[in-house]
Amino acid sequence: MFANKTTRLLLLLVAVVVLAACRSGTSTGELQGTVLDVPQEKGSFVLTDTEGAPYDFASETEDSLTLLYFGYLECPDICPVHLAQIAEVFDQHSDLAREAKVVFVSVDPDLDTLEEIREFLDNFDSRFVGLTGTHEELAAAQEAVGVPPARIFGEGDEYTVDHAGWVIAYAPDGLSYSIYPFGTRQTQWTNDLQVLAALESE
Amino acid sequence: MRITVSRNARALLASLLVLSLVAACGGNESQPNVAQVRVGAPTGPNAAVYFMARGYDEDDVLVSASTDVAGSVEFHETTTNDDGTMTMQPLPSFSLPAGGELILEPGGRHLMLIGVDDLKVGDTIDVTLTWQNAGEMTVEAVVVDPADTMGDG
Ligand SMILES: [Cu+2]
Repeated sequence: MFANKTTRLLLLLVAVVVLAACRSGTSTGELQGTVLDVPQEKGSFVLTDTEGAPYDFASETEDSLTLLYFGYLECPDICPVHLAQIAEVFDQHSDLAREAKVVFVSVDPDLDTLEEIREFLDNFDSRFVGLTGTHEELAAAQEAVGVPPARIFGEGDEYTVDHAGWVIAYAPDGLSYSIYPFGTRQTQWTNDLQVLAALESE
Repeated sequence: MRITVSRNARALLASLLVLSLVAACGGNESQPNVAQVRVGAPTGPNAAVYFMARGYDEDDVLVSASTDVAGSVEFHETTTNDDGTMTMQPLPSFSLPAGGELILEPGGRHLMLIGVDDLKVGDTIDVTLTWQNAGEMTVEAVVVDPADTMGDG
């Protein structure tokens, strides 16, 4: 009887402590993004960076914590939020910022120039890599990493771009364990980037 | 593009104050009560304005908006498709039911400032809202870091 009560009390205490730890925003060691059932290998593709040079995604980001996002510059609603949240984590954790590669791919090569992509990213962190390419190259890149291809339709007022709203994260071991849909909170980013950075390749 | 903690705290206090005023005066309003008006610092040609409006004793519709700092203002909604992709589409107006609320937030509805001036975090801009029944009102929007538009610190 007593033992049971004590056990229950202990369990309750543990639960409270665990909850408190989560609340305080310290790293829990657990991923808080959308965890994939099966970790995905890093896809490989080549696009053009903002200097106009070819960028081989798989080899440039090898052994680095990598965040990959497909968007477009006229997107003022969700694209800047992801990038600003990641930049905020880097502001507070310079060690992470040094090792991580953040790669933004513009899926709108007809409107977004290399210079504009660079200017856009400099709003967040000048280390962020900006890429784009031809429509064919972009389609191949999106297929290689398993995101639905962005679709552009209409003109003028009716002009819209459908694009994947989530960021793909790859740990330094080259695997993606989790993705980050729109609506990911700052505390989740802060936690998960630290957890992922610790998953070194052997 | 970082916002200081104290500014965050002040913004929170200010919105709490507005909310408590809304709660205190509830029921006797003859126009929408618009709070937490914020605009993400521009990172391109456009910027998005978000707010929370509380309805009064009549249905109303936000039919237009304008500001001196942008070429034009459009009503947009970001929606999520079945395959997880997101689309931003124009809407003609936003409705605010009597006693209900109209929430503009990232990943949902927003006012899009087309051809916006260069705004810095901490600046404020005036936005004029025109309601079908309540008429015109001018609200002040605070420019915040895009990471803070969601309001989760
Ligand atoms: Cu918009």
